[in-house]
Amino acid sequence: MNRSRGETLWFWLFAGPAVAGLLAFNVWPMLYSLWLSFCRYEVLAPPEFIGLQNYRYLFTHDPAFWPSVRVTLVFTVANLPLAIAGALGFALLLNQPVRGRGFWRAVFFLPSILPQAAFAVVFGYIFQADGGLLNRALALAGIQGAAWTTSPTWALPVLIVVSLWSFGYPMVIFLAALQDVPRELHEAAHIDGADGWARFRHITLPLISPIIFFNVVMGVIGALKVFDLAYAFSVSQAQPMPGGPARATLFYGLNLYQQAFGFFHLGLASAMAWLLFAFIAALTYVNFRAGRRWVHYGD
Amino acid sequence: MSSLSRPLLAWVTIAALAALGFWWAGHRREPAPRPGVTEISWYVLINPLREVYEAQVAEFERRHPEYRVRIVWVPGTEYNVRLKTLAAAHQLPDLFYTGDVWLSYLMPFTRDLSDFARRDAAETGLDTDYFPEIRRAMQLDGKIYILPEHVNVSLLYYNRRMFREANLPEPSAEWTWDDYVRAAQRLTRPGDEHHPAIWGSSRMEGWWGEWLIFVRQAGGKVFTPDGHRCLLDSPAAIAGLRFYLEKSTRYGISAPAGFEPVNGFVNQRVAMVIGGHTNFWTNYNQVTDLDWDVQILPAGPARRAGGELAIAGYSISRESRHPEAAWELVKFLTRPEAIAQVVAHGQLSVRRSVAEAVMRQPGRANPHQLEAAYRQFAYAEPIPHHPHYIEIMLQIVQAEVDRMVIGELTPEEAGRRAAADVNAFLDTFHRAAP
Repeated sequence: MNRSRGETLWFWLFAGPAVAGLLAFNVWPMLYSLWLSFCRYEVLAPPEFIGLQNYRYLFTHDPAFWPSVRVTLVFTVANLPLAIAGALGFALLLNQPVRGRGFWRAVFFLPSILPQAAFAVVFGYIFQADGGLLNRALALAGIQGAAWTTSPTWALPVLIVVSLWSFGYPMVIFLAALQDVPRELHEAAHIDGADGWARFRHITLPLISPIIFFNVVMGVIGALKVFDLAYAFSVSQAQPMPGGPARATLFYGLNLYQQAFGFFHLGLASAMAWLLFAFIAALTYVNFRAGRRWVHYGD
Repeated sequence: MSSLSRPLLAWVTIAALAALGFWWAGHRREPAPRPGVTEISWYVLINPLREVYEAQVAEFERRHPEYRVRIVWVPGTEYNVRLKTLAAAHQLPDLFYTGDVWLSYLMPFTRDLSDFARRDAAETGLDTDYFPEIRRAMQLDGKIYILPEHVNVSLLYYNRRMFREANLPEPSAEWTWDDYVRAAQRLTRPGDEHHPAIWGSSRMEGWWGEWLIFVRQAGGKVFTPDGHRCLLDSPAAIAGLRFYLEKSTRYGISAPAGFEPVNGFVNQRVAMVIGGHTNFWTNYNQVTDLDWDVQILPAGPARRAGGELAIAGYSISRESRHPEAAWELVKFLTRPEAIAQVVAHGQLSVRRSVAEAVMRQPGRANPHQLEAAYRQFAYAEPIPHHPHYIEIMLQIVQAEVDRMVIGELTPEEAGRRAAADVNAFLDTFHRAAP
């Protein structure tokens, strides 16, 4: 046996299990779900091919589909800039040479290791309409608070606020990027008379733009797939049907989960999953195209 | 060893180890039953009666050494998902705990118990001891799929102290919606900076528990008898929805949308509850100064009937390998002594003999007018036996009712939109109805 053949065998020996796992547990289920998206499949009977009927129902008849799309897009548009700006802002603060910097970094990262379910329960108590902490505080000032968690107007904004507490991971990535910005560039700009904002605008931002881009792409994907926070929020509010009130917190991921595992419309849920996959892929492509204009890789 | 055989040997070793791992992971850890002993698997959702069930099973195994029962406790939030997943995998337990609310949904993998029930009618007391309304609720197309253990029925719950303090007579069995509104208005007190508001009645939001009662009492229905069309846009159904809405917006007897006091009845900030649940009776009785009672629901403009009657009990899976053994266990769990233990934990009996024995008990816990709860059976009915009832009501209809409650839609618009969406759902998927 020649050397090249031996190397190929060793390659497959080590890569084989991973490739097999990928094919068995990722590629095959994905392809199967694509097939299911053209079927009526409710678990107890074999899949029945129905063509595009699932997609047609989603686009034209399903009363929950478009509201769930709207909720998810509103959440993404509102959450992403706030989350990115917040994470970058805290990273800038925590990059300053202050006493106990390590301690503060740990403190600000702590919320990110808490499960979303815990957030949902705690914030549910804070925002409770009758006797919640916020409304009690407002009442002291003579203000009648809203039904924050049970009003279709306020429930989604409340969830956006709650979600912002999980800024720890992008913050840590920003922090690492900020520490990579060469100090001498700042010193040179300072000597040339650039103020703090100018240095941030013309040195820091361009140098960390790949990291901003990374956080934006991951943030968009994460926001479009939000599930756990919305589900935990519904459970903490004892909603018989997750996503209420009046579908105000019916995120796409939550709707998909309900269709798949609440009602076992696995064909319909597969169609939803593929629509989400296509949308995320398209949006990521747009992001990459747009990123060419503002992301600097230093080459 | 050649360079070819070494990787091959490694592959074989890895494959053997993986196979061993899979076998170990899937291998049953519990000891197999002794020869001649039949194991009955029973899925039951975790609930406060756990000790009662475990004691029952221990007693069953003592009396029937030929059987062993393997109880699998499942959290309520996962229960139906797990059950249906197991059905898809042909791994269903012999016996599972369920209710008539889920019956149409579970029917494809639930065994028809009619033959067993007919054969053992005398032993089970099905024809003689079960309330007739319960017998009707446990059947679908004339077949029996569930043997009930307890029942919940919609009632008027009220706080006796609040009625006394307002110099109001307690609700009577002849009450109508008007009587209910008048009393609730007398009981409602606005809040100020020192005292929270007191509401004459709650308004249950987020599901059909209360508004469906009003729709039915106004003469409305959710579906046509064949289940193929939704009727929530009918004038009668809209009248029911309007009364539900106007409890807050017109009569001022219930909190505005979203401001329902948490546990308002227990905290004595709500004087009356329409619907309610017998599951809460034990909790109510743990609050020492809560003097509460129940009454038949007030009559609506069309009829008094319309409250919900929901049974919970035992079904046997269609694929059970031991249906006779599972049936033995079902009979054991539904004998009067067993049901009496469940009822002692604050449930309503499905069997007349147990109900009568409880009502004869001196100094029993509230409700004082327990007989009203049993009389309400005559005015109650199960939810429509439609295979997609829960999905339709929670996923489609409830969102429109929510929007009505917050003032985005009128009752007419809510009824029309709900009916249109439900009909589109039924048309698209050609949902068969029983």
